[in-house]
Amino acid sequence: MNVNLIVNGKAHPVEISPGDTLLKVLRSLGYFGVKHGCETGECGACTVLLDTVPINACIFLAAQAEGYHLETIESVGEHPQQGWKTTSGLHPIQEAFVESGAIQCGFCTPAMILAGKELLNREPNPSEAEIREAFSGILCRCTGYIKPIQAVLRAAAALRGEEIEPFERRIPASFDFLSDDADSSTGFDRSPGEPERDEPAGEVITATRVMPRIQVTPEIESWQRVGKPERKVDAVKLVQGKPAFASDLEKRGMMVAKVLHSPVAHARIKHIDKSKALALPGVAAVLTWQDIPRVVYSTAGQSDPIPGPLDSFSLDNKVRFVGDRVAFVAAETEEIAIQALELIEVEYEPLGAVFDPGQALQPGAPILHDEPEYVNFAESDPSRNLAAEIRIDIGDVEKGFADADHIFEAEYEVPKVQQAHIEPHVSITYWDEDDRLVIYTSTQVPFHARRQLAPVLGLPIKRIRVIKPRIGGGFGGKQEILSEDVAAHLTIATGRPVIYEYTREEEFIAARSRHPMRLRMKTGVKSDGTITANAMYALSDTGAYGGHALTVTGNTGHKSMALYVGDGDYRKSPNIRFYADVVYTNNPPSGAYRGYGVPQGFWAVERHLEKIANDLKMDPIEFRTKNSVREGELQPFSTAWSEGREPQPEIIETCGLEECIRQGKAAIGWDQKHGNQGWHKVQGKPHQRRGIGVALVMQGTAIPYLDMGSASIKMNDDASFNLLVGATDLGTGSDTVLAQMAAEVLGVAMEDIIIYSSDTDFTPFDKGAYASSTTYISGGAVVRAAEGAAKRIRLRAASMLNQETDDQLVNPEDIRLVDRRAVSPDGRSIPLTEIALETLHHSDQEQIMGIGSFMSPVAPPPFAAQFVELTVDVETGQIVVEKLVMAVDSGVIVNPLTASGQVEGGMTQALGYAVSEEMVYDSQGRARETDLRDYHIFQAHEMPDLTTIFVETFEPSHPFGVKAVAEIPIDGVAPAVGNAVFDAVGVNIDNNPITPEKVWRELKVKEGKA
Amino acid sequence: MIVEYYRPQNLAEALALVDDPETKTVFMGGGSAIDRYKIEPFAVVDLQDLGLNTLRTKGNTLEIGATATLQAVYEQSQIQTGLKNAIYREASLNLRQVGTVAGTLVASDGRSPFATAMLALDPSITLIPGEERINLGDLLALRDKNLNSKLITKITLPLNVQLAYQYVARTPADLPIVCTAVALWPSGRTRVVLGGSGETPILAMDGPERGGAEISAAAAYSQAGDQWASAEYRQEMAQVLVKRCLSRLDR
Repeated sequence: MNVNLIVNGKAHPVEISPGDTLLKVLRSLGYFGVKHGCETGECGACTVLLDTVPINACIFLAAQAEGYHLETIESVGEHPQQGWKTTSGLHPIQEAFVESGAIQCGFCTPAMILAGKELLNREPNPSEAEIREAFSGILCRCTGYIKPIQAVLRAAAALRGEEIEPFERRIPASFDFLSDDADSSTGFDRSPGEPERDEPAGEVITATRVMPRIQVTPEIESWQRVGKPERKVDAVKLVQGKPAFASDLEKRGMMVAKVLHSPVAHARIKHIDKSKALALPGVAAVLTWQDIPRVVYSTAGQSDPIPGPLDSFSLDNKVRFVGDRVAFVAAETEEIAIQALELIEVEYEPLGAVFDPGQALQPGAPILHDEPEYVNFAESDPSRNLAAEIRIDIGDVEKGFADADHIFEAEYEVPKVQQAHIEPHVSITYWDEDDRLVIYTSTQVPFHARRQLAPVLGLPIKRIRVIKPRIGGGFGGKQEILSEDVAAHLTIATGRPVIYEYTREEEFIAARSRHPMRLRMKTGVKSDGTITANAMYALSDTGAYGGHALTVTGNTGHKSMALYVGDGDYRKSPNIRFYADVVYTNNPPSGAYRGYGVPQGFWAVERHLEKIANDLKMDPIEFRTKNSVREGELQPFSTAWSEGREPQPEIIETCGLEECIRQGKAAIGWDQKHGNQGWHKVQGKPHQRRGIGVALVMQGTAIPYLDMGSASIKMNDDASFNLLVGATDLGTGSDTVLAQMAAEVLGVAMEDIIIYSSDTDFTPFDKGAYASSTTYISGGAVVRAAEGAAKRIRLRAASMLNQETDDQLVNPEDIRLVDRRAVSPDGRSIPLTEIALETLHHSDQEQIMGIGSFMSPVAPPPFAAQFVELTVDVETGQIVVEKLVMAVDSGVIVNPLTASGQVEGGMTQALGYAVSEEMVYDSQGRARETDLRDYHIFQAHEMPDLTTIFVETFEPSHPFGVKAVAEIPIDGVAPAVGNAVFDAVGVNIDNNPITPEKVWRELKVKEGKA
Repeated sequence: MIVEYYRPQNLAEALALVDDPETKTVFMGGGSAIDRYKIEPFAVVDLQDLGLNTLRTKGNTLEIGATATLQAVYEQSQIQTGLKNAIYREASLNLRQVGTVAGTLVASDGRSPFATAMLALDPSITLIPGEERINLGDLLALRDKNLNSKLITKITLPLNVQLAYQYVARTPADLPIVCTAVALWPSGRTRVVLGGSGETPILAMDGPERGGAEISAAAAYSQAGDQWASAEYRQEMAQVLVKRCLSRLDR
């Protein structure tokens, strides 16, 4: 059918199918700022304005839109300088998003800008609550919503003509900076027009701030770029909705791939007939296990050798979970591909299925991996459904228990949860003009993907080029190689470009997720609170495949069990045990998810320690700090385990944990609230109780002796620099902080650094974005590369300066690079532009450039104190979290805006882990959660107050003193919520998420009514 | 999959279109609840040009056109606070801008706050052809039968009825695990509806006065266990929430 769509004032007469969504048609017309994140209107990434009203284009038919005026992000503003042409520039709201650090991955940014613009058109002076309401239909998994909201407030002020305070200054942390409002926890700011709340206990505070509080280290005072809230280098393109993401790539003749997923949990494919599907007009290829080489591999993107079993095939003659792959289809359109899937006839021979990891270990349990190609790693044993086994004893654990006055034992459980990045997995593959396969993909691990896919595709590494464009969030989910091989096999089969993009349902049934675990704790403690021995056993469910099985679960113990070493002599020689079995089941596979096993461990450890402190009648924080590891001490696990490699001892050089506690306590008003019975009651609401909780956490920074990043940098004619890094910015802002480090070393402005990342043909190697490593590892490489270039610049500058005079000769090493000049100690200087022209064109011509690699023998841990304040409804069991505070020692903070964005977003994800997120399956292994309606992630209008405090230390193993920040925010929120529930109503919930019914049941037990 | 799209200009044209014996044809309000990934071919009749999106007060009633959006009703100043609450919890702003009143009710399940609140208000539904009027409870119970080739044109709500809505959920904006709506007529007539589970909200009580409301609620949810909550929990919550609704209505 033909329709005429008016988009951004331009008429588009187009021929469409009646069922085409507005999203599909707008993108086909080139409006790539309209994003696909789901198919049910839940995520809002496809927001457009329909006669000024924000709607979701994924659930709106293009035919419905005829007769309306549509606005997309492409109409809002554009880059102000376009060669000889100047434009009206970015809209104030776009400017505000750029400068406020409101953008992380940027996938939801066009939607938020449109929603914010629409709000400002009808309300020039909106309240924060009104902005939250305007954003309520747009999910953001990165930011925690604070900075986008602040951006709209700043844009509103700008549009009203008010002066806007710049974000230049750092806000110093002060232990009492929030004392005035420490008790103002009932200041709920109701959404516009929102009626009087009938609902649950507690109220949500919406006060926010953009810049974090920072207790600074003295080292940073002289720096010009590092430590400053620089704009993200990719912000301007993202606020314009430019086609920067994988699915935005257009290729002539590109086909659409779809995957047939298994409806059964465990079966052998007895017979498969694809003839009817192949006969469907528009179908170019249908691939089954019979059509492609049988190559065993791991989908986990990790360094060589893969620290886990090889147990996967692109397609197999056996399915091992509901959602497993059965066949691939490539067709001219998505609709034809879906129809073709229906025409594939499959006869399954059912095999017994096992969903409980404990049962899977029992003799006689169904065996998932009986294929002869299976490659073991370490103690994996597929004949027992064992993907990995860990047995770590540090010190003399049994003696430690014998020394104890008290033994505390308890069991805990954590659920399977989803990364829920708003951009689904997506890959585009095509043959280039040299018959090399290009994989354009939303990945966290482009170099691993190239290496690991080569044998699977029957290509040498050198004939594969992997390009990572912008990523719409990954959180570990894209450390898995899941969509690339599907598209690649189909490109090989057909010779044509192919796009394979997950649906939201596929994300839930066929991607990866956090390992669910059962954790058993046993802790020996003396009556004075000294921990004498601590033991954890983890039964971890890796699901049908064992990617990340060993390493995720290893980190469960490696971080959470390392934080508490004991006191006195035990501090010098701690007694710690960590045993784990990582088990195959017929559940969907687990994998990497931000935190990488550590949140699971801290759920158990921090809940357990809270109970012990309570039983011993000790202050929970004093009990923790008495036993926690300190600066100058050994990371106890460093001599015992290193992700399947040889462990090496690591001394903890910096630990700001005690200061984090002090700052966090002040921020949340701990001393006024904890133990204050009056505060726990809610005036006028006898069915509500307030609670306050804490958890201490530590993470790591990269994998020692393994993780390597590299960089190259070259100087251009205008003294700008091309910085090439293999590092993979998945929305975190790593390209920005890497550019900041280069700019600092070279003494130039941020706009002088042109960074290009993650293209296996053009950028040097980097292991990829995981293990909280990029700022530290890739940053170290950038510093070395920049120092190499800087050294040549100083040499040439000294030569040029020394030509001017016969007097005092300048030593190159004494030249400083600052403000785009090379400055000698006597005050003379040369602009870098002159040095660039001199070296490229005038004399002794050379290309000034530098290269650098960085690998670290240590993984310096960041530390944090995480606090929660909440209200419990004692009649319903419902909890409402009202305040989250995180004080974190992540070393030096390179960019306060991007770093605090990591903390805010991480805390928000962790809040879901605490109260709402879980993946549940029925007795046949079918998922309860297949969309973002049932899998509820926090929305803008239901968020608690978030406070971020950085306690800087200077980590000596890094040139700029940095440690990790990306993962640690997700570690402690859930146990802090659990501890706050205990503080509020005296019941212990040992399995998260803490749902109303669980609290209600425990309250019944406490009341003796169970 | 959708194989035909129609946008009729009058009611007669719309009714004629759904009588197509060749292709299954359904009415479409905002379209947000249409499953366009169904393999079976079907046609949609877009109702947006039929002028059914009006809101009109008539005495003590509000006539809501079938294609009025949830947001339009939400912004209507005369509706009960409890109904506003339920609409606010039904969907996010973007979805409320598109989702129509009739479409949301027809597509609703037991977890729908809006359907729960509306069922408590006992609105009458006008269908054509024939200007047939049925109540919402009957419509929801037998949707396929009642809507076979028929079109909802309006929903008539009483405005002189108080309504309270309460719920329990994992987070403030999550779908309810249990929700209750209690409507109180000036005569004392009290309707108690439970949501959060099943195919449709349940009418727990419709009596001349409020007595027994909590007990009725508990009884109505005696079999309401599912993957989201046990029946035991829902039974007790039904009582707690009904009590809170009644308390709110007393203010």
